[in-house]
Amino acid sequence: MSLSTVPPAAVPAAAPKPRRKARFGSGKHDYVRAGLWIALLFAVFIWTIPLIFMIFTSLKSEADIFGTPAFVPPWNPEWGNYVSALDRGNLLNAGANSLIIAVFKVPIGLLISAAAAFALARLKFRRQRLLMGVIAMGAMVPIQVAIAPLFQVIMGLNLLSTHVGVILPYIAFGLPYQTFIMYGFFRAIPVEIDESARMDGAGNWRLFLQIILPLSLPALAALFILDFVATWNEYSIALALLQSQDSWTIPLAIQGFQSQFTSSYGPLNAFTIMSVFPVLIVYLMFQRYFVEGAFAGAVKG
Amino acid sequence: MSTSTAPPRPRSTSGSRAQRRAAKVSKTGFIAALPFLAPALAAYLVFVVGPMIESVRISFFEWSGFQGAPQEFVGFKNYVRIFTQDPVFWTALSNTIIWVLLSLVIPVALGLTLAVALNRPLFGRNAFRSLFYIPGVLAPIAIANMWRWMYNPNFGVGATLAELFNLPWLGEIQWLGDQRLALYSIFAAFVWQIAGTNMVLFLAGLQSVVPEHIEAAKLDGASGWQIFRNVTFPALRPITVIVVVLTIINSIKVFDLIVGMTGGGPAQKTQVLALWSFTQSFGNNEYGMGNAIATVLLIITLIIVVPYMVWTARQEKNS
Repeated sequence: MSLSTVPPAAVPAAAPKPRRKARFGSGKHDYVRAGLWIALLFAVFIWTIPLIFMIFTSLKSEADIFGTPAFVPPWNPEWGNYVSALDRGNLLNAGANSLIIAVFKVPIGLLISAAAAFALARLKFRRQRLLMGVIAMGAMVPIQVAIAPLFQVIMGLNLLSTHVGVILPYIAFGLPYQTFIMYGFFRAIPVEIDESARMDGAGNWRLFLQIILPLSLPALAALFILDFVATWNEYSIALALLQSQDSWTIPLAIQGFQSQFTSSYGPLNAFTIMSVFPVLIVYLMFQRYFVEGAFAGAVKG
Repeated sequence: MSTSTAPPRPRSTSGSRAQRRAAKVSKTGFIAALPFLAPALAAYLVFVVGPMIESVRISFFEWSGFQGAPQEFVGFKNYVRIFTQDPVFWTALSNTIIWVLLSLVIPVALGLTLAVALNRPLFGRNAFRSLFYIPGVLAPIAIANMWRWMYNPNFGVGATLAELFNLPWLGEIQWLGDQRLALYSIFAAFVWQIAGTNMVLFLAGLQSVVPEHIEAAKLDGASGWQIFRNVTFPALRPITVIVVVLTIINSIKVFDLIVGMTGGGPAQKTQVLALWSFTQSFGNNEYGMGNAIATVLLIITLIIVVPYMVWTARQEKNS
């Protein structure tokens, strides 16, 4: 999509009047900047309240939760909540399920999407743009539109409550967005590269695996991270397809814990914290990919 | 991007280079592309397109959803029922519309404000950006649980502040229990979740603002607001389109937050179409009704998405 070709704003070309005004206004500028900084600090404080609230509660004993205001720090941290959460909710089992699903879904899904994007962006056949459009449209339709019949399909395949039974639909529902992003990325690679590779006798597969894919590593990395997080967090498909408690993923386990132990606020918050921990670590380690991923989606898309 | 310089039909051009290219093109074609496309197309057809078509088909039948149970063709009866006899459908529809409209204003404006503020050099800028973005990576169902706890009428934020500042009315608010308020309480969690994502998108868009243009406008004596309106904002237009489309799509999809915070209650006042369709199919075993609602949702989505796709395709062709 031609979003990177932003027409320059119509600004009359100004005669160069070097620096006079900038220096004049700098005192006022600092003042504004300090005010802005304080406003942002305040906003960030508001923004982190839910997280602070959750962490505090997870470390309080029941007596402290009911006896002290919620934003008073837990002076006597009660780590037992974490033990209790691990004990009562099947966090480890759910974590293992989520991990297995993500470990298979993410690379396979990316490879399939990349292959499709390669065909759509680098090979030539009729109606390929239309096909790209039809695939991209899948990224915009809510999953819930197809979820009841999807349940029937998976039941027909006898795959309810299995890893494969969610990995397959996850791959399918991830395809449209990933293919779309890859398509944009592949199209930005100069055609001359293909031409010279073909001159050297490379076929389509070699072109794809040895040239186009390695050139797209930044986009692949960004999509990998984003997709890992999205898979880890997915709830509605899992809710429909994973019926037995043994097969639950993390989001189902959170919801299960919350409906089973409604008023165990300490363990519940400890459970939630532990469940978001892997994603937070991934986020903090690969932060720049999130920005790049958004950037790729927004500008290259 | 339209960076590919190869014309779609190389044979129409002349010269030896084009002939060379035509020879290569003949190696491709749909048959050559098929092995690359087949896995994606198969998965897409079986698990996405197939179920969508099936959901339209089932919407014309009455069915409990149990395998072996009879499917009885009833024509438009399910639609007549959802439009005339199902008050929850109208609540869900209007809630979905309210959600979309509010999302187009509050989180978009917030994201834009944060992006503009954090686009200039500031101490701790990256830390600010990260903190605002963090909610976007958390599982919505986890967010729902956090906020449910904050809204707890006895020990939550409202109750605590009410005690601290001696404001009894604040402590009495039933954030998720009040039929008129609950939807907006959930919406607040949604704003918290997605404002950071919008900020990142707008930040990406702001990189396309040419600094020289801002300098030039400053030298011409333009005020900060004039610069924003006449220089920054036009440059942000493409990203704004994307943010708007993403916002609409994400708003129509909202499901996890509502399941996790109210389950659609109290008295179904926080139902939305996506959840009501799910509830009818799986909770009430009304597959026909559930899929009729899903079909309505599909049509609404297509009405929004298709013009956008056509528009972008045209943009691409023009550039």
